[in-house]
Amino acid sequence: MAEATELFRKSDVPAHVPAECVIDFDLFAQPAPEEDFFEYWKKLQGEGRPDFVWTPYNGGHWIATRGEDIHTIYADHDLFSSRNILLPVERNEAIRVLPTSLDPPEHRPFRNLINHGLSPKVVRGLEPSIRELTVSLIEAFRARGHCEFASEFAELLPISLFLKMVNLPVEDRIKLKALSEQVNRPDGSMTPEEVNQGFYDYLMPVLLERRKNPGDDLFSQFLAGSIDGRPMTDGEAFELCMQVLIAGLDTVVSVLGFLMMFLARNPDHRRQLVADPAMIPPAVEEFLRRFPLVAIPRTVIRDMEFQGVTFKEGDLILVPTMLHGLDDRAYQCPLDVDFNRRIGIHSTFGAGVHRCPGSLLARAELRIFLEEWLSRIPDFDIAPGRTPKVLYGIVGTVVDLPLVWQA
Amino acid sequence: MVKLIVIDASGAEHILDAEAGRSVMKAATDALIPGIMGECGGCLSCATCHGYVDEAWAPRLAPPSEEEQDMLSCAVDVLPCSRLTCQIEMTAEVDGLVIRLPEAQF
Repeated sequence: MAEATELFRKSDVPAHVPAECVIDFDLFAQPAPEEDFFEYWKKLQGEGRPDFVWTPYNGGHWIATRGEDIHTIYADHDLFSSRNILLPVERNEAIRVLPTSLDPPEHRPFRNLINHGLSPKVVRGLEPSIRELTVSLIEAFRARGHCEFASEFAELLPISLFLKMVNLPVEDRIKLKALSEQVNRPDGSMTPEEVNQGFYDYLMPVLLERRKNPGDDLFSQFLAGSIDGRPMTDGEAFELCMQVLIAGLDTVVSVLGFLMMFLARNPDHRRQLVADPAMIPPAVEEFLRRFPLVAIPRTVIRDMEFQGVTFKEGDLILVPTMLHGLDDRAYQCPLDVDFNRRIGIHSTFGAGVHRCPGSLLARAELRIFLEEWLSRIPDFDIAPGRTPKVLYGIVGTVVDLPLVWQA
Repeated sequence: MVKLIVIDASGAEHILDAEAGRSVMKAATDALIPGIMGECGGCLSCATCHGYVDEAWAPRLAPPSEEEQDMLSCAVDVLPCSRLTCQIEMTAEVDGLVIRLPEAQF
């Protein structure tokens, strides 16, 4: 991550930001490979730190570090707008997505379409496909005794399933994944305009064709939907479908990586699930609490005092979902993984009107994956001498996780 | 406080004292009752607070709004007595309300 790219400009500290709140934190920095992703984020809750800190990186922004505030900010769209969901703020001009960047009431009709497309009923119907795909991917490398989990499984299951739901060829995943990467973890190799254009050139012909010849896929359903009684424009359809692609290609992938890194290093936890598969559903909930990985901003709507902090209209607050489930004010010994833990509120899927609509699909994928993997490969480890590679950004992810087992 | 009885899919009865004005979903998820999620926090976006209203109580509740009916169509194992419980407010009029939970929310 080159400091030279214009992404990483530092800005001056505004007058209303108290000096004790200012810290040195770059959302796109890549810490040393030995660093634990979650402990790295959790340092923001270090002793003596104020609950809201401010960093001059990426245009300058606040960071909410405590669970309760994180949840409140996501839930309260009257005080905290979603109009900017990328940092630095200029990136939002080049990359517009729906309905993530809309506030109510404009948000609702678009969200309704997604709610129906990823509903409990739809997810239940997808279970056999998820299971079939999971088993075939595992069986492809099981006898070999090793795999690179990120590229041979984590990237394939959710992405293939998702591309099937939107009826796009599975081969296109490489191209689409590369574009999504540049939204969530930009490395300076493409401008935001180029990223947007890349999605546009790919998606627009598909969407125009589906308008003419609709199928039963998710994109066709979106296009058939009504927005307050009128049809969706081409531009809206593009922004909606691009968002759904980005979200579908880069999150379950990441959770899978982190939870397998954990299970590879923690045989006792693995054995609990192997011995009693009924523990898998509560384990999924605990993994979701323990391994959140998305951090997006909200924009302050008006000058105000909030939890004793002075915010000015237009201030950006980065709201890391990581820091709710990992907050010791919300959970005792939050870094411990305990499948018997009683799990209340966390913000892994966000909160409020924008709460992740894919949360049920994610849960189904994680549960089925654990059932099928652990019954086939109950014991595995990280390949000796290798360190898994993790990338940091708006969505944290594991890109290299070499696993070995007795074939 | 208003009494709310939630019967989960295993048949276990949970007797709750709900704050008046709180939704059935909030009262049940606050108490960490198994089998109800309330993923979206009550903004009619997820259909995971699905419950069955015991027959005797149905006439005493306001009928579901159009938006609720629309989201209810997203839920699994829907019956005529199905409701999204984030839309049912606990009031003195429904003191003792009985809600049964489905086998699964998704």
